[in-house]
This record gives sequence, C-alpha cells and structure tokens, in this order.
Amino acid sequence: MATLLQPEKVLYLVRGEKKIRVPLSQLYFCRYCSELRSLECVSHEVDSHFCPSCLENMPSAEAKLKKNRCANCFDCPCCMHTLSTRATNIPAPLPDDPTKTTMKKAYYLACGFCRWTSRDVGMADKSVASGGWQEPENPHTQRINKLIEYYQQLAQREKLERDRKKLARRRPFMPQAFSQHTIHVVEKYGLGTRLQRQRSGAPISALYGLSLKEGEDQKEITIEPAQALDEVEPLPEDYYTRPVNLPEVTTLRQRLLQPDFQPAGASQLHPRHKHLLMKRSLRCRKCEHNLSKPEFNPTSIKFKIQLVAVSYIPEVRIMSIPNLRHMKESQVLLTLTNPVENITHVSLYTCEEEDPDDINSTAKVLVPSKELVLAGKDAAAEYDELAEPQGFQDDPDVVTFRKSNKIGFFIKVIPQREEGDVTVAFKLRHDFRNLAAPIRNTEEVEATSEAIWLTHHVELSLGPLAT
Amino acid sequence: MFDCSHVKIAAGAVVCVESDIRGDVTIGARTVVHPKARIIAEAGPIVIGEGNLIEEQALIINSFPENILPDAEDIEPKTMSIGFNNVFEVGCVSQALKIGDNNVIESKAEVGRSVILSSGCIVGACCAVNTCEVIPENTVIYGSECLRRVQTERPQPQTLQLDFLMKILPNYHHLKKTVKASSTPARS
Repeated sequence: MATLLQPEKVLYLVRGEKKIRVPLSQLYFCRYCSELRSLECVSHEVDSHFCPSCLENMPSAEAKLKKNRCANCFDCPCCMHTLSTRATNIPAPLPDDPTKTTMKKAYYLACGFCRWTSRDVGMADKSVASGGWQEPENPHTQRINKLIEYYQQLAQREKLERDRKKLARRRPFMPQAFSQHTIHVVEKYGLGTRLQRQRSGAPISALYGLSLKEGEDQKEITIEPAQALDEVEPLPEDYYTRPVNLPEVTTLRQRLLQPDFQPAGASQLHPRHKHLLMKRSLRCRKCEHNLSKPEFNPTSIKFKIQLVAVSYIPEVRIMSIPNLRHMKESQVLLTLTNPVENITHVSLYTCEEEDPDDINSTAKVLVPSKELVLAGKDAAAEYDELAEPQGFQDDPDVVTFRKSNKIGFFIKVIPQREEGDVTVAFKLRHDFRNLAAPIRNTEEVEATSEAIWLTHHVELSLGPLAT
Repeated sequence: MFDCSHVKIAAGAVVCVESDIRGDVTIGARTVVHPKARIIAEAGPIVIGEGNLIEEQALIINSFPENILPDAEDIEPKTMSIGFNNVFEVGCVSQALKIGDNNVIESKAEVGRSVILSSGCIVGACCAVNTCEVIPENTVIYGSECLRRVQTERPQPQTLQLDFLMKILPNYHHLKKTVKASSTPARS
C-alpha cells in the first residue's frame, strides 16, 4: 500500500519553456505570476559554499582559489568516504638525549568504511593533527598554467573585437561545459566569475563579461606548440603474460576522481581534499522574485523564503486502486489535501478531445461533476479531540471521508488498452487567494484578497491491468 | 544428537550468564562473551581461542548443512575452530568452520559455512560472504556490493577493549563458572 503514496504516481504539468511532468513535491509556485515552476524554469544562483564534513563556510572567492575544495578534510581515494585522523604513540628519540626514547604522537589518516590508511600509499605519519597533509604536485602544472594564460589573453582579445563591433545579437551557442542551471558564470577558460541574471530567452554568450582592468598592458604571451614524439616507450615484455594482481588495480571511478594522475595501481592513490557543496537560491525567470532562499549558515536547514508548491496547491494522492480490467469501469479512491488555511473549492474536469497536454493517458476517466469543498488547514486541529463536525454536505457517492483538510473521493476509470500501464489525466481547477499581491491603495481599509482560479493538468499512473 | 552441554570455559574468560551457549563449546582464556550472544554447537563442537570478543546478539553456530537432515545417516561432526584476537561485532552471524586470528566480523555481517577466514580479514558491516573459498590474509570486504581490497597491516588486537570489559562486565552481570585447568582433589 505504501507504494501508492509514492509521489511519482501523481504528476503535475508545468507549462514553462518545456512542458515538464513532475510530482508536486518537486515544484515551486511563484505567487506573483501565479504559476507552477519547476527546477528547469527557474534560474539558480549560488549562495554560499561549505564543506559537508566540517561545515565550514567559505566565501566564493576563497572557494575558487582553493579549487572548490576544503582545506582540512580529505576523501578516501578508495571508497570516497571522509577520512578521519587517528593518532598512535610511537617511541621517538629525545632531541637532547638520543639514547632515551619518549612516546610521541604520530597522526595518520584512516577511512572507517574500507579501512584504508595513509600508510598504505607510503605517506609518512605526521606530527601535527591537521595541516600536515599535502596533495601530490601535478608534474604538468607549469605547462598548464602557461597554456591557460595564453588562452585567456586570446579570449580577451576576442572580447575586445566583439565589443568594438557592438553585436546586438549574442551568439546562440551555449558551450557544453556550462550547465543550464547555473548562472554563476565562469567565462571562457576561467578568467573570473561574475554573477549574472540569466534573462529568459537570451542565452549566455561564451565570452560575455570578461573582466579586464582598463589600461592594463597586455604582454604578448607565446607558447610552444606541443611536440609529437616519434618513439613511444615500449610495453614491458611480460605485459601479456603477467597475472593481474586484482587488489592492486584501481577501478575506473577511483582513477577518474584524480584526473591529474589517473593512477593504475592502488598504491599510488593519494587522498584528495574534499569537494565543497553549495547552497543555491532559485529565482523565477519571469518576475525575478526569489522562490527559494536558504539560510546562510551551513548547519541550518531552514529557508528564509520557501515558496514550494505543496504549500499552495491542493495535492492529489492515490489511496486505493481496485483491479482494473480492460473496458470495465472501476472506481479509484483518491485524496485531496488543502494546504492553505482558508476554504478551497476544487472542481475537476476531464480533458477534452485533442487536448495538446493529454498525451499519456491510456484510459478514460469520469470525474465528479460537483465542486468539492476542502476545509482550511487548521494547525491546532490535531490536538483538538472534540472536533466539531464540519458542516459540509457531501454526496456519499463521491466523497467517502472527510478529515480536517483532507477528503477522499472516487473517480471512475475505464482502461482503453488491453496491455500496459493505466494512466489517466484530468484538470484540477481551484481558487487561490493571493496574499502576496500588493495592497492596492483603495478607500477600503481592509484589502480583501481576490480569489483567482488556477487550473492544473494532473496525471495519475495507476499501474498495470489486473490479470 | 551431540547435546552434551559441555561448556568448558577457561580461567580468565568472561562469559556472561545471559549468553546462550549450547553444545560442546570450549572457550579460551581472555575471551569476553557479552550477554545475548549465542554460541550453538549443533553439528559438532566449537573451539574458541583466546582473546576473542563476542558482542551482543552475535551468533556463532555450527549447524548442519541445509540439505542434510539431522536424523539422517551418521554424519561426522566437524569441529568449528576459531583462533585468537577475533572480534565478532553486534548482530553478526558466523557459520564458518575455520576462522584464523585477528579477524573482525563487523555488525550484521554473515559468513557462510564454506568460507575459511585466514588472518587479519575484515568482513564489513552488512556484508554477506557465502562463497566457497579461503579469504586471503588482510582482505577487507566492504560496501553493499562486497568489494574487496587488501590492506597492508592486520587490524590491531582489541586489548584495551578486552581489559576494560573484563573489569567492568563482572560489576553488572553474573558470569558463568569457569573450569579450572587443574582440578583440586575432592575433600572427603
């Protein structure tokens, strides 16, 4: 029975740039535009960076300098768990008197999950608890830095030319490396980051917004082209005959987590600093209001602004499904929950023929024709045992039960196909009181919020036909 | 049926009364058996070495293989032998007939009857090892897919923990009587 409560069974349609069908729990509701928004039709902004294990906050500039990695915490190269520092006592000779030995503390890194220790790769124990561990240096760093400088210079030159031409239209090409979601724009070749509003409809040009100090002299940086070698190191003779030592071979995942070295042997897997995570805030692209803004503190999970859809839109959930048979009418029990505190009126409509949104349904559905009334959500109701019966007249054929802000009702489903899953769709129309609308300057002292009617397209997947 | 109920507990072992020990079981010195641990010798005797740590709800069982009925023809009783300095963490199930030294079987792990643990092996939490093989020394089995790797040093024996438990457990639990190695002559 618990599988029926899974949110993926009930999908709401979001009419954004793309039509997306998502459960209500993953949607946001912009109460200024009065529309549902999904993750793809909002713009994402980075709020702050933090380390997931030591929960240390880091400003964005510092994060970029450290390549988005924490300074104190390490990841196990074997299982990617967080490494912990352990101490042992080792006898060490006193500096004054080489004959006497005293116990000194030596620290090493160990993984609690796969029992990897820093001694496995030959890293010596350190005498300080933190800060002693170094990542191995990439032998190609110098060449890479030189190449980056050269290409940054090229990019600047291109930008200057472009600005000179004053193109009105930006190039529609969106580089693959940039996720659509982030507007923390890293310009070409990582010159610098600038926060930008991604205006809807205007794709970001690859070179837009390079920061260049005015009047800075540009040195000509030249690089040598890479040299092609004629001779390659030959394979060792026993390459084909030597038996493979399986514990020594690294998995692809372990190898690719260290793209600098990509070691093939497990004895060269060095630990790396832990990646930082970020907190992001979401913004509606049309009206530029914030939909979700978390608190700055990494230890806090609350939100300053949280306009999620489940707190504004009535939620449909499946309660029980009878055996569904081809071309036979059966009754499916659904529940509707009212998230707001005032009474909500809900009416359901079947999708018309040739509805462009209705592409997935494989069954006909008959929804109750009368309007359903949902009581407001009363936070104190669960503690009130002597709840007065709500004075709603319910049609017993349609409404099965009513409990504070929830009702259960029947819909009739007639599967049209002989095989496959049964999916139905209908339209849900409810009234919404917009408390966020600006209070208009009228003579009335009380600004009564007007109710607007919103319609959503809901799809239910009822599972396979009964055999 | 080998139900001699012969439990020989060496001097120096701490075996709580609430533990469930059945059959022909020998427990070595300095071994700590927590309450609610179960050591069941159905299909043969169990010999446990020294310095082992058997935690709560651990199950060490020498049972009949599944496809053989207990009342069938005479099956030769196989002795299950466990070495020293092993740790059987909370809730693990061990049916392995031969366990060496310094192994750690972590919480809720299961070790089947055909597995032979050599020395220094660690069977990770919730890992079920049911293959028919000898696990090489210093192997670590971890993860939901029972990945393996070899560690360079064996796990340390839990001497500190054992000492602590041998001091503290008698304060809170009654212990099973140990059998002295040399029996004193009965007084007339």
